[in-house]
Amino acid sequence: MALSGIQIYKMLPQTNCKECGFPTCLAFAMKLAAKQVELGVCPYVSEESKKQLAESSAPPIRLVTLKAGSEIKAGNEVCMFRHEKTFYNKPGLFIRVKASDPDLAAKVAKAEAYKVNYVGMDFSIDGFAVEADGDLTAAVKAVRDVTKRPLILIANDVTHLDSSLSLLAGESALIYAADAQRSDYEPLADLAKKHKAALVVRADSLDALAELTQKVQAKGVEDIVLDPAAATLGASLTRHTQLRKLALKNVRSLGYPIIAFPCDAKDEGIAAAQAIAKYAGFVVLSEFKPELLYPLLVLRENIYTDPQKPIQVQPGIYEINSPKPESPVLVTTNFSITYFAVANEVEGSGLPAWLVVTDAEGMSVLTAWAAGKFDAERIAKAIKGFNVADKISRKRIVLPGHVAVLSGEVEEELPGWEIRVGPREAVDLPAFMKQVLN
Amino acid sequence: MPIEIPKDKWTGSIRAVTIGATSAEGGTRTKTVTVGGQTTMPYLQYEAMPSGDEAPNKPVIAIEIKSRKPEDWSPLLADVWGEAMADPAQWAKKAEEAGADLLVLALTVEDTPEDAVRIVKSVLSATGLPLIVWGPGQAEKDNELLVPVSEATNGEKIVLGICEDKNYRTIVATAMANGHLVQARAPMDVNLSKQLNILVSDMGIPKDRILMDPTTGALGYGIEYGYSVMERLRLAALQGDAMTQLPMIVTPGFEAWKTKEAKVGEGVPEAWGDWKARAINWETLTAMSLVESGADIVVLRHPESVKRVKDAIEELVTV
Amino acid sequence: MQHTISFTHNDKQVSVEIPTGALLSDAAHLAGIDIGQPCGGQGRCGRCAVQVTEGNVRRRSTLRLSPDDVEQGYALACQTVIEGNVSIYIPPQEKIERRLTTDRVVAEVTVPEGYEYLQDQTVRRIHLELTPPSMDDQTDDWSRLQTAFRQQHKMEHPFGSAQGGVTCSVSLLREMGEVLREGDWNVTATIETSRRADEQTSRLIQLQPNHIDEYSPLWGTAIDIGTTTVSVWLVDLVSGQVRAQVAEYNGQIARGEDVISRIMYASKNGGGEELRQRVLDTINELIKTACKRVNAKPEEVVKATIAGNSTMIHLLLGIPASNIRLSPFITAVGHPPLMTAREVGLKTHPEASVDCLPGVASYVGADITAGVLSSGLDTAEDVTLFLDVGTNGETVLGNRDWLVTCACSAGPAFEGAGVVNGMRATQGAIEEVWINSETFEPTYRVIGGVKPKGICGSGLISLLSEAFITGIIDKAGNVNLMAISPRVRDGAHGGEYVVAWGAESESGEDIVISRVDVDNLLRAKAAIYAGFTVLADTVGIPLDSVSKVLIGGSFGKYINVEKAVQIGLLPDMDWPRFEFLGNTAVKGAYYALLDWRKRKQITEIAKRMTYIELSADNSFYDAFTSALFLPHTDMSKFPSVAEALSRSN
Repeated sequence: MALSGIQIYKMLPQTNCKECGFPTCLAFAMKLAAKQVELGVCPYVSEESKKQLAESSAPPIRLVTLKAGSEIKAGNEVCMFRHEKTFYNKPGLFIRVKASDPDLAAKVAKAEAYKVNYVGMDFSIDGFAVEADGDLTAAVKAVRDVTKRPLILIANDVTHLDSSLSLLAGESALIYAADAQRSDYEPLADLAKKHKAALVVRADSLDALAELTQKVQAKGVEDIVLDPAAATLGASLTRHTQLRKLALKNVRSLGYPIIAFPCDAKDEGIAAAQAIAKYAGFVVLSEFKPELLYPLLVLRENIYTDPQKPIQVQPGIYEINSPKPESPVLVTTNFSITYFAVANEVEGSGLPAWLVVTDAEGMSVLTAWAAGKFDAERIAKAIKGFNVADKISRKRIVLPGHVAVLSGEVEEELPGWEIRVGPREAVDLPAFMKQVLN
Repeated sequence: MPIEIPKDKWTGSIRAVTIGATSAEGGTRTKTVTVGGQTTMPYLQYEAMPSGDEAPNKPVIAIEIKSRKPEDWSPLLADVWGEAMADPAQWAKKAEEAGADLLVLALTVEDTPEDAVRIVKSVLSATGLPLIVWGPGQAEKDNELLVPVSEATNGEKIVLGICEDKNYRTIVATAMANGHLVQARAPMDVNLSKQLNILVSDMGIPKDRILMDPTTGALGYGIEYGYSVMERLRLAALQGDAMTQLPMIVTPGFEAWKTKEAKVGEGVPEAWGDWKARAINWETLTAMSLVESGADIVVLRHPESVKRVKDAIEELVTV
Repeated sequence: MQHTISFTHNDKQVSVEIPTGALLSDAAHLAGIDIGQPCGGQGRCGRCAVQVTEGNVRRRSTLRLSPDDVEQGYALACQTVIEGNVSIYIPPQEKIERRLTTDRVVAEVTVPEGYEYLQDQTVRRIHLELTPPSMDDQTDDWSRLQTAFRQQHKMEHPFGSAQGGVTCSVSLLREMGEVLREGDWNVTATIETSRRADEQTSRLIQLQPNHIDEYSPLWGTAIDIGTTTVSVWLVDLVSGQVRAQVAEYNGQIARGEDVISRIMYASKNGGGEELRQRVLDTINELIKTACKRVNAKPEEVVKATIAGNSTMIHLLLGIPASNIRLSPFITAVGHPPLMTAREVGLKTHPEASVDCLPGVASYVGADITAGVLSSGLDTAEDVTLFLDVGTNGETVLGNRDWLVTCACSAGPAFEGAGVVNGMRATQGAIEEVWINSETFEPTYRVIGGVKPKGICGSGLISLLSEAFITGIIDKAGNVNLMAISPRVRDGAHGGEYVVAWGAESESGEDIVISRVDVDNLLRAKAAIYAGFTVLADTVGIPLDSVSKVLIGGSFGKYINVEKAVQIGLLPDMDWPRFEFLGNTAVKGAYYALLDWRKRKQITEIAKRMTYIELSADNSFYDAFTSALFLPHTDMSKFPSVAEALSRSN
């Protein structure tokens, strides 16, 4: 159970010595409660308190890291719903390839090279799941020639797994899977231990899953991933939810990340979207399809955005409704809600415009203004930096109505530009553009 | 050792709301749609109380049609609806064939009150589906069109939209007078949604005549706000907050087809993949994410998305 | 059936005959007695309480009356039915008001118990008799004076130097010779002894010829510089008594209503100097006014203790304040050194000591540390909440073990600024309003009983609550234009309600509350409510467990807690838990002005308080939006208001 700031405070020395870098012990306690600082910073805390605090802060879901040339993490989550805190580790998206596929290397290379940009961020896939329907060792070798991303090995032949994992020395791969329906968990666990790999435990009931996990734990495997083997959207939603809830209740045998296989679902896109939103740590897709991968990557980014810190839009000049050189230039900040409010209103009106998004560190117009992140200087810098003048024929910009007070200074910063003050609310923009700007 | 599955014990439930009235009920619809009735977070039926054994109503799909041929819709939509887009009655029939459980008819600013009444009536006679009618989205114009529509369809139990905090009194009043429902939309905020529900119900309209529209963004365009707002509204409702115990209607079709990703096929990055598949994915994934966070009515535009979402809903209730 | 009702009113007796079933208020009316019914006879305000001394009546409602009141025969005239012959005593109105459980009147200021001028005060006046110089004794004037200090008052230099224990400024040296000789070597010195750390140093503030009566007033002033209102108390440091209390809007308002705008203005060419001058003008004018009331001169004021938020203190001292606004929000100085009036620009005695109290953080300043001192929060055993209902909406929660604090921008609405017909709580301000829920006609009370000029903070709280309870505005603050009354109309700023017609008002113009005013008030109350709820949440203290809510603010002499709860400014809890303390900042400054131990205590408070930055996550925004409703989006938090609403419908 997480402790509150006041509860932690009572375990601290309460001397307000400031040596931890915080003005009071209570301020430090609250940072501890928010997990934003380590207890070790306090030189005077008692051993007794240290013990109590360590227990209350152990993560309910183990962090499992798959590592090769790049790494992907799953686990360490602390809540059921993203608004309660945030979801931390974005689920890894893996592309399934088959050892028997003659085009294996070419397919992997194509997926490997995939890169897509979303509001200034570059996304790619996280790794590959190699299915041993042919020579696994040869396939792993072929795959390693074209990608350095982490691998999941779908196989149960211990000999082949052993030689394949030997090829991946120094990496942390994921072995799929110790299955409750088979009795070969022991050699697989040994293998995982030997190669420092993580091991998936698969069972279609939570009881069986917990039982097998405990056996694997007993064999000394620490990095475990759960496959609750749900066949329908309803079943996966139910079991993933139950697993997360149990893990948060500190049921240690189920406190591990989940792997999902939308590749086997009726509607892969819908199943993958559900897995992303509902608690999966690793998601395996059937093949490389950019028209699905792109929306899934975007969804993952959206769901895993910290709801306490809303996303920022990449500063720049955005085109709305194919603007022409004579179209108006609107200025706003890079707080995503602000940006979307403005962009949506203008877009919905059908009126063409250039939207200049300034770097206001993700704050709304008024907040940014108050904090000095949206002033004449920054606005002028954006107008100049994005070469707005090259795109337009009429040097005129529209400031948000909330910062009407800045118009004089912007005029000084941008000689030769006409500065207009627009409405305070985005919803009044279309009318303003129609009635005032013509 | 068997695992004990933890269950949240909720005290509240979502109100069941019925749209449309058959001739026996004073309308002309051949079927009605009932949504709501949930007693758990979405599709976690194992948490339902034994007494609440009855399965809740499944989410339904509305297809959006317009009173006039929309000029700004994606070519992909124009391809699939074809000529019917110019004739609301025909469009309505095609939408019914495409699997719609009910229809959204969006009026436009060009419509006169007489146009609006005539078009609404033509749609009502073209299909037996329950109907939601939206004004063009400008307060004065909405009131000008929706009041005569409401009066001309007395007893049909249509849904009148869209009530917002700045313009709700007229729409609520005419809905009450003519036995209709209202759609109450607040901009992606738990508190604002709840406040609008309070204002609307303070006027005396029964709570089973209100659909709440929390507003959403499309995938990539703020869906996470809508998603979390809906989860929070549903949580509040289950915790017993009467003012959030209303079924939710959202418009993923409208939102998704506004995005460049769905709307446009040319001049976009190659990494976005095949246009049509991507566009349908955009609408479908937006819709399904919202269904899984508690939507009761999703308003869609493309028949293929309709089919995928419909199938997925069936699969969701199969555990 | 007719009954005889005998009234005792103003020591007179009147009797009337009235049939069964009539109300006591009807009977009183028949008897020509005017019983005030501000709420229009709806049993809401409790102002028509009378005492039944003989006979039986039937009380339809005893709202506002305690069981004890009923036991003593009290009944609401508008809610009580006559069923037989009765005798009624009509108490004077003030007596009724004192009985009302809803009103909290700010306590009179009294000299702290046990105040000993010679023990507690850092400034004092001492008599010195110097040996006149001669050809044999050519010691210089200053050394002579120092010797007198040492010999007659045992004032040693801190380092034991032969130089003696008192320092003075060069300007005092310039006039010293003349003063000594004018008094024929008998002089009165005013000195200040400061105790910082273990050192004790003395500074000569003024030197006057001859011996001045030791017990004649020695003037000091306690000042609170609010963003909106500046308050000045003139204090006789000898008796400890507050002899004059004056307040005025801060002259800086003309350059921005909130601290952010002021900081922005100050950072522009010459803006800082202008703002410094503006607030100095306000303070100096107030000191002048206060002095005039007691026939003193501003130059006789020898000590000033100043509370104020960090921005106000920076602007007063002409220190650049821009870092207060910018992340990570750092003040230039949290605890300014002791200064003189000459340095600061106060038109008191130029050598007067000026002590700016210490603050906690950029947005929790000395007004709050002083407020905590005067409220006693830092020594409370149980968890206590202190709210400063001011422009910056600071909140402190805690007890003697821990203190947390936060600030939120509430705006000046409750101080009567930023509201069309708002004003400070002075003569002519409407301080209480009742509205009849059927006719929408108001009854109001004006400070000083004169024609109304405007509405002060407590009047706005009461007006907002009444407009809400009677349905003139909806829960979102929209004026309900469907309400049929000439007082509800479409004005220049949207819907508005006329509280006083031009014919009744001092200016001849209608006094109204508009949609924009309502919005401002809603934002102010929402910010304050959100501030303390998030603060309590952050430290994990349920609001219910708060044993006392102390309210500070300059919105009037009293607050009707029921109304403040109805608009969702205060949490819905039992009324006895609320206490209204008035301007706690100036009161804290007053205590610090008198007693060096209290002064030290403020420094300790500043060190102990933990500042919580509300903008760190979205929870404040969330709490704010949910509070931006009447009384709140979550009605379950306000059961008493739900009840009041159902009564009124």
